[in-house]
Amino acid sequence: MPATERVEIEGHIVDSLILAKVLDLIVGAGAEYAIVDMAIGRTQTDRSRAVIDVVAEDEPSLERLLEHLQVHGVNRLTDTDASSVAADADGVLPEGFYSTTNLPTSVRIGGHWEPVANPEMDCALVLGATGPRTVPMHRIRRGDSVVVGPDGVRVEALPRAAAELSFEFMASEVSSEKPKALLVRQVADRVRACRDRGERILVVCGPVLVHTGACPDLARLIREGWVDVLFAGNGFATHDMESNVLGTSLGISVEAGLPIELGHSNHLRVINEIRRRGSIAAAVQDGYVTGGVMYECVTRGVPFVLVGSVRDDGPLPDVFTDVVQGVDAMREHVGDVGAALMFASTLHAIATGNILPARVETFCVDINPAVATKLTDRGSHQAVGIVTDIGLFVRDLTTELCGT
Amino acid sequence: MTELAWGRRYLMCPPAFFSVLYEINPWMHREVSVDVELAHEQWSQLVACLRSAGAEVELLDPVEALPDLVFTANAGVVSRDLFVPARFLHPQRQGETSHDVEWFAMRGWRVRELPEGLHQEGAGDALPFGELFVAGYRIRSDVRSHAELSSLTGVPVRSVELADPRLYHLDLTFCPLDDRRAITVPAGWDEYGRRLVKELVPEPLPLELDEALSFAANSVVVGRNVVMPDCPPRIGRQLEAWGFDVAVVDVSEFRKAGGGPRCLTLALDVAVGALGNVGP
Repeated sequence: MPATERVEIEGHIVDSLILAKVLDLIVGAGAEYAIVDMAIGRTQTDRSRAVIDVVAEDEPSLERLLEHLQVHGVNRLTDTDASSVAADADGVLPEGFYSTTNLPTSVRIGGHWEPVANPEMDCALVLGATGPRTVPMHRIRRGDSVVVGPDGVRVEALPRAAAELSFEFMASEVSSEKPKALLVRQVADRVRACRDRGERILVVCGPVLVHTGACPDLARLIREGWVDVLFAGNGFATHDMESNVLGTSLGISVEAGLPIELGHSNHLRVINEIRRRGSIAAAVQDGYVTGGVMYECVTRGVPFVLVGSVRDDGPLPDVFTDVVQGVDAMREHVGDVGAALMFASTLHAIATGNILPARVETFCVDINPAVATKLTDRGSHQAVGIVTDIGLFVRDLTTELCGT
Repeated sequence: MTELAWGRRYLMCPPAFFSVLYEINPWMHREVSVDVELAHEQWSQLVACLRSAGAEVELLDPVEALPDLVFTANAGVVSRDLFVPARFLHPQRQGETSHDVEWFAMRGWRVRELPEGLHQEGAGDALPFGELFVAGYRIRSDVRSHAELSSLTGVPVRSVELADPRLYHLDLTFCPLDDRRAITVPAGWDEYGRRLVKELVPEPLPLELDEALSFAANSVVVGRNVVMPDCPPRIGRQLEAWGFDVAVVDVSEFRKAGGGPRCLTLALDVAVGALGNVGP
């Protein structure tokens, strides 16, 4: 993982060619730099000062480089250990707690920078026996050693190399005016690259996937091994199984696109039958559900987390009705995720964005540009928005990945 | 071409307790014994030579168990009426500083110290050239000391990285001759140091590495006189062509500790930069 350190260098660094030398040494070591701040002395005896972010390919190379640069007067800007305070109550953070970002983060403990294993935004940093980790507020336990203040915490901007992995349209975050075939191909390339790296692919689904008829394609993606974990709500799972069992999605025939008589209660009947059987897996096992996305998840052993909301019918027995428990269950599954596909989902996409590290390549596909904008506005800056019809997009993506 | 405005008044320390008691540079070997009598003779000849070249020599009392006190160039940096005492890298030499400070303070110099935690070995690593100090770093002095030195003296400092541990102080690689010329040892510097000196010195007299290792750059310049420990013929010819008189003084006993004539002297009349009094 690339490692960054903010350093400063002060003195007659321009006239003595020290700055030029330091920058050359950084580049010569295969690292990169960004000059964050530069103040040039006005007279010959005035000092100049440069603040530089140094980005090396990993922590050991960065340490070696910084040690090498130290001789030329280059110093780390923060050189103190993180301070911590013991939490005095369960679920309550000490005053002045450090609030995390989703960027790669390290904590300085005993003079060494230790990486945070599970970057997540809006959490606290807890120092434990296995190193620093992010912990959401509600999971804090009395006595946890919580980092306070900004000292000794380092956040690494995602290096340029990672950004270049994404496409040109990274520049214009959300756009409807892009050639869709190209976008689909590029998303497929990123998904393949993720799998080749041995990382997992997460899909977050909204009910519109079912309404637009995309479920058979998504089911095929799962069947052919392109989905490693699925997050959704009560609605998506319900309509997916409703369309399998009764051929409708919220009472509308998926085939004909027309309302079915008394169809408005179809989803309730399906939920009721699943509840009778105790779980989605049980409904698959006894042959009530015979196809679709949830069926493929159960038969292929792809884990799914369904988290409910205030307007849910039923809900399905698998749905977490305690959202705090639900998000914790989602957290269990984001560890090795390398790519996240958010398909026509607003609430679950944002909830997932909140718990994903920034390094996860995130694609938010929705007909409504506001969804991708909302996601990035809430801190998931890595998200790429693709404004298009989800049914067509998933069909094309499936063709790209699985062939015609 | 104008003669050096400094270099006519020196501080020196008789080698009464000089020997090689420890090894802090590649030249020092404890098994090599110093001929104390010969050392004293060579030192006296150097004093006589400097005086006959027109320089004044003032004396620092030698101190037992401080063998390197003879190398007064490392006592500190002198700038007008200011003395900035060295901060020695090696503990073996740190005991010298209180004696140096006492000498200067007693005679009315303003003593201003570099911040703790930095190393800077005096004029050995900071020589005036034109309107600024050329300062060496990496082997004995920290580059961070240079900005501090500039703040204390009000003189701009240019930093040169020393690249060869055998040429461990700047004064083994650089010897200002006048306002345009200097003996230089490019092999003793990194690429940036070479570029910097090239821009700074219009007429350099570059030494080959073997010439530098005979300490030819560790010379003392008094007006048009250059007092050298060794003078390769081609260097001598060039210096004479420029109108300098070369005097060679044998200081071979001090070479055993890695020092030459320049190391044995500290110029007291350094005044670069803005106008002001020279000395207290």
